[in-house]
Amino acid sequence: MKAGRADRIATIVFWSIGLVSMAILAFIILEIFGRGLVTAVSPSFFAGQPATNQAGGGVGPMIVSSLYLAALTMLISLPVSIGAAIYMAEYAREGKFNNFIRFCLDSLATLPSIVFGIFGLTLFVVTFKWSYCLLAGAFTLALLNLPILLRGAEESIKQVPQTYREASMSLGANRWITIKKVVLPSAMPGVITGTVLPIGRIMGEAAAVIYTTGLFIRAIPLSPFDPAAPLAGYIWYAQTEATVPDYRQIVNGGAAILLILVFLINFSARRFARFYAKRKQLEVKL
Amino acid sequence: MTQGNVKLERSPYPYTGQVVIERAATQPNVCDARVKIELRNLGLYYENFKALEDINLHIMCNSITAIIGPSGCGKSTALRSLNRMNELIEGARVEGKVIMDGENIYERDYRVVRLRKRVGMVFQRPNPFPKSIYDNIAFGPRLFGVRERNILDCIIEESLRRAALWDEVKDKLRDSALTLSGGQQQRLCIARVLSVQPEVILLDEPCAALDPIATQRIEDLLSELKNEYTIVTVTHNMQQAARISDFTAFFMIENQGEPGRIVEFGETSKIFTNPDDERTEEYITGRFG
Repeated sequence: MKAGRADRIATIVFWSIGLVSMAILAFIILEIFGRGLVTAVSPSFFAGQPATNQAGGGVGPMIVSSLYLAALTMLISLPVSIGAAIYMAEYAREGKFNNFIRFCLDSLATLPSIVFGIFGLTLFVVTFKWSYCLLAGAFTLALLNLPILLRGAEESIKQVPQTYREASMSLGANRWITIKKVVLPSAMPGVITGTVLPIGRIMGEAAAVIYTTGLFIRAIPLSPFDPAAPLAGYIWYAQTEATVPDYRQIVNGGAAILLILVFLINFSARRFARFYAKRKQLEVKL
Repeated sequence: MTQGNVKLERSPYPYTGQVVIERAATQPNVCDARVKIELRNLGLYYENFKALEDINLHIMCNSITAIIGPSGCGKSTALRSLNRMNELIEGARVEGKVIMDGENIYERDYRVVRLRKRVGMVFQRPNPFPKSIYDNIAFGPRLFGVRERNILDCIIEESLRRAALWDEVKDKLRDSALTLSGGQQQRLCIARVLSVQPEVILLDEPCAALDPIATQRIEDLLSELKNEYTIVTVTHNMQQAARISDFTAFFMIENQGEPGRIVEFGETSKIFTNPDDERTEEYITGRFG
């Protein structure tokens, strides 16, 4: 009887905790959309040019900057992190050295992003003389992202059953062929969904891009060496520095757009991972 | 090569790049020597732990050799030493020799890839790749450079036929191998091994995860395959060893922490009816293990 009651109470408690966290998320989304959605969906805002001193400016170039930056960052960090993950999971012997690498990665992952921003400023912007540009931001964010991407990819690779590797090796495949033909295809859906979180982080990162890509642009950036103004950074800029009278609207609309972008990317990455798994006939739960 | 004795195979052996001859039906793949593999004083360590000691064994051509013994006595380890799969485990080290067709496979310049092509392996749990049935079997041949579609088709049909699976899957070669039942998956794994045209097939408790009917089918298949291949199987199932094998090796560890040794090796009929060693008799009559 007593145990039964405790069980019921536990069920209710955990159920409520789950409900509360869901409610918080719902509240944030509703709040942001409530304030900014009307602004966000008007074409003059999401496709328009930003203004410098009168109301009615848009964030078109900023959205492009964010997407461009995210793509560049992934282009830089994905191959590196997958390569390193393959090394860590397949080649490196478990031991002190591997643990040390993991420790370094975890430390890197906990560094505040403003530190990466300052690092990017001194190295890419100043020392390499790239000045404020997308590429400087992309390299900075790639560094920021590397630990998360790498650990995610490593986990996905480690989850590939050992029996696949044995089957492949027993047929005469060497280690590299086994990785290329068996391990990586099986790990890929996990790797793809593992990139979702980092992309969200890239899109939302303000501190690391302020000093590397720039804060305000009027022209859409084309070359990686063009200055840019990712949305998250621009929101910060509009709130604290801008001289336009409707900055509140810009901030709220920008936040709503950012949220929509992150949702869209999250959704399509999952869809793609599922599609890929289906085409490759993998059994994965996503 | 006279036409009467030898018929040309439909699929040329791709690995040598030449049209090769089908094993004549009248004269199935008889090895030059009766002994295919000889284990000479084989010992095996994992780090500092000695898992096997002083293993001496003759594995005969075109026969089934069963390795039996209680859990943890090194049966699987011994089996894996025959295609050097034990090297995948960190810290594994071998002493002594494993001589196949006169060559020590642990010689420094012996090529593992060639060895594993010649000595195929089937595992305890069916482990098809998460690919289509077709791609599962094409995996091996593709490794060795077979790209032509029609040759691959031939190899796949031939391998599936030999593994007695063709009729069940011929209409769904593009389906995922994971949709097959456990017994079918295991036969698929056997077909996958056959696709690279091995000489020896190692099986590590191939029926441990299967139901009695699937087990029966695998046993029938093995009895058929031994006409063309040399088969070594580890099994926990005494009746299975008695039913299908020609030779039996009984492995045991004396005390916890000691290496596994061979207690007795000989013809299966003798081991099961009139063993020399008392411990063998105790084991096969079910008094321990």
